[in-house]
Amino acid sequence: MRPDASVESHHFEALGTSCSLFAVGQPHGRLLEGEAWVRRLGARLTRFSEDSELSRLNRAAGDWAPISDEMDEILHAALRAHAMSAGLVNVAVLPAMLAVGYTRPLIEGPGVATLESLRPLLPLPDVLELRDGEARVQAGCGVDLGGIGKGWMADRLSETLGPNVVVNLGGDLRARGAGPRGDGWPVGLGGATLLLRNQGAATSSTRRRRWGEDGRGETPPHLWGGGPKGRRGGSLHHLIDPRTGSPARTGLEEVSVVAANGFEAEVVAKTALLLGPDLAPAYCAAHAMAWWLSGTHDD
Amino acid sequence: MRTFLLKGAATALTMCTTVASALFVTSHLKNPAAPLQPPVLTAANSSSNAAVGGTLTVGPSVQPSNAEPMTSTYAS
Repeated sequence: MRPDASVESHHFEALGTSCSLFAVGQPHGRLLEGEAWVRRLGARLTRFSEDSELSRLNRAAGDWAPISDEMDEILHAALRAHAMSAGLVNVAVLPAMLAVGYTRPLIEGPGVATLESLRPLLPLPDVLELRDGEARVQAGCGVDLGGIGKGWMADRLSETLGPNVVVNLGGDLRARGAGPRGDGWPVGLGGATLLLRNQGAATSSTRRRRWGEDGRGETPPHLWGGGPKGRRGGSLHHLIDPRTGSPARTGLEEVSVVAANGFEAEVVAKTALLLGPDLAPAYCAAHAMAWWLSGTHDD
Repeated sequence: MRTFLLKGAATALTMCTTVASALFVTSHLKNPAAPLQPPVLTAANSSSNAAVGGTLTVGPSVQPSNAEPMTSTYAS
């Protein structure tokens, strides 16, 4: 084990969440460049801006729309996520998000839910088509990249930031290299510290971003962690189960995993949460390197 | 006479082998409670700990530490 190397760190708010960059052997300016990349790409991938590339794609409603190389890569990754999860991770979730009232950033408060319009999601390959430089989303459907986008961005940024870095975008993180002491980057997961080397981690949870059906009861951001019961804020939340099109209720409320990279960690965490407490341990044993499963306390 | 003895010995040897095999098999019935070898769902070097609010399982490719985490995964 080496003595601690000097770690440069940089923290900022972007993508509607808190982001942190850590690097060994890189100047602080390199981390500032990383923040700029996150902001630029985040502005193109958000569904909350009418001018974003994602919003233009969703608005095309059945017509082919030009997409950037980055959007092409992320949408291909989304199709892989759908296949890896047997359909449980489906970015064509936008209509369901809008129906449960997630119509704007929750810091502004949720909209009123229209639950009668909820229905099971169509398989992503039936909704999203890709060809060279273009994509098409079926009319009446829409894409919300959510955690898939953050995990993918953490992976990409870690590859360009340096050989020994951690990129944490709202809990979706990628650790690259041997860390400051040569034995891995110390990362918190499930109340423990794990040393990650060239691995990713992510958390999927229904304890945050909750609100009531009337659009009230949104949990203030500083309370988004909830208590042990994690039930502040109402019965609706942002994690949609594609099998029902409704907010997931599986008996698990929070899953954190370590996997080969940030994208895979996000897919595995969300899939495990949607599988529920009976199937999640076996699924995680097959697809994750470490995992934290936390169940429902008051259902 | 010699041929008859050889045939008789071969028959006796076959019957003895058959009986011995049957006795061995019936005394080694499959134990349905026997563990899978190798274990499938829990890697040999993994460890599970039930902590407050959940269960943490760490596989052999991840090393736990007592150090303070530099950053964490969390729901956002």
